[in-house]
Amino acid sequence: MLQIKGLCCGYGDMTVIRDINFELQEGGTLALVGSNGAGKTTLLMSVAGHIIPKSGQVRLNGVDLVNKEPETRCGLGVGLVPEGRRIFPDLSVFENLVVGGYSRPSNNQSESMARVFEVFPRLFDRKNQLAGSLSGGEQQMLAFGRAMMSKPNLLLVDELSLGLMPSVVDECYNALGKLVKKGIAVILVDQNSDAAIDFCSSTLILETGNQFWHGKSSAAPKLAIC
Amino acid sequence: MLFFDLCIQGVIQGAIYALIALGLTLVYGLLRILHVAHAALFTLGGYIGVIVTNGSGSFLLALLTSMLIVGVVGMSSYTIIYKPLLNRTPLIALIASIGIFIASEELFRIFFGAYGLSYTNPPLQGQIEILSGVSLSHARILVVVLAIGLLSGVGWLAINTRVGIAARATVIDPEMAASSGINVEMIRFGSFFIGSAFAGAAGVMVSLLNNLVEPTMGAVPSYKALAIIVLGGLGSVRGALVASLALGIIESFGTIYVGHLLDRDSIAFAFLIMVLMVRPQGLLARG
Repeated sequence: MLQIKGLCCGYGDMTVIRDINFELQEGGTLALVGSNGAGKTTLLMSVAGHIIPKSGQVRLNGVDLVNKEPETRCGLGVGLVPEGRRIFPDLSVFENLVVGGYSRPSNNQSESMARVFEVFPRLFDRKNQLAGSLSGGEQQMLAFGRAMMSKPNLLLVDELSLGLMPSVVDECYNALGKLVKKGIAVILVDQNSDAAIDFCSSTLILETGNQFWHGKSSAAPKLAIC
Repeated sequence: MLFFDLCIQGVIQGAIYALIALGLTLVYGLLRILHVAHAALFTLGGYIGVIVTNGSGSFLLALLTSMLIVGVVGMSSYTIIYKPLLNRTPLIALIASIGIFIASEELFRIFFGAYGLSYTNPPLQGQIEILSGVSLSHARILVVVLAIGLLSGVGWLAINTRVGIAARATVIDPEMAASSGINVEMIRFGSFFIGSAFAGAAGVMVSLLNNLVEPTMGAVPSYKALAIIVLGGLGSVRGALVASLALGIIESFGTIYVGHLLDRDSIAFAFLIMVLMVRPQGLLARG
């Protein structure tokens, strides 16, 4: 479903990640691990369309994404749960979800929202509350819910557990598991790399922007991960 | 009776300020650019209002034509001036905007003459007595009704429609808005159109109230609208509307009671300085 070949990207003249190659099937899960500054977020943001690659290919279901804008990629099935959640704090929970479903016809809105509330019932109780007043865990759920509204085939999750209580982290992993069962592919970055590797079937290790190792999570060289 | 009269004058002036400041605050919210050339659109609106009314005899047609043309010119200003400068420091866009504003004053002088234009047969000059001893012209009533109608309409759109919610999300975080499927460029075009059309409407109404439109009529609104969006809290639409009304009323009372010490614009800026000393972030911006 997702194919990445020889991907190099960065900021201005600086190249942050070099020659990244991997494939991900429908419902597949990939843990992206590496130390700080290894290029994990850069790789996710280049798939989401916020960083234009210097070279290489990014294809989703056979469609070349390289020259597509982020909003077009969202319509093609790329969902993003960014680092720090980045929900819209001055909008209500309901409005955040409306924004999440903007790429889909408005008559699908109620159905998509019902699906989100089924996975995260707490969001239904907070529907009319300003998103900025939610707890950290609820904000993470909302970030997931917002991404789910666009019915993604591929979900990019950056720093899932950052700043969250362990019980909330478990809740988020459970929700992510439900999405994977529905056939959504996931690329996951988490500061708790063990949790990410345990959750995902495959792992890609980045080291200062280079692809150090890629394979089944069960065979991941744990000592290399920091 | 003087009190009511001053309140009404303040509300009328505040309504005009609000129509002008809305576009400026929308542009600042979306692009973080101070769109000084917005005041040139206000002047353009005034000219179109006078010319179309004198040519067709219909003030309504003039108002609608002005809003449409000025809206389109505003969208073009985004494409031609600001879009190529978005990746540069905001100071460059500000300097470009000031340059366009000065150049536009000279263009108005070249095309329409230095002495301004007037309505050959000024419309809406009838008077209505709203309180005993307080009369208002139809034109002054229309300013307030128009401002309330247009601003409430935009407020309703922003709260109750998907496009409106998307526009608010784009102001908060354009990158995440794009990742949610929102076409950020379309939101920018739409905001430039609405903000510019409202400035055009304000230009038509001011040209009617003064029965005069001249090349420099945008000079005072250019800096007064900047003061208003700073006063309201940069990027806060609600703040800009409250500041517009507050400034209109302060100016109206100030001109009568302290006018012998400070002129109208000095009163406005003294008020701005006093508010910023207490609330540096502006009236309705977050602390």
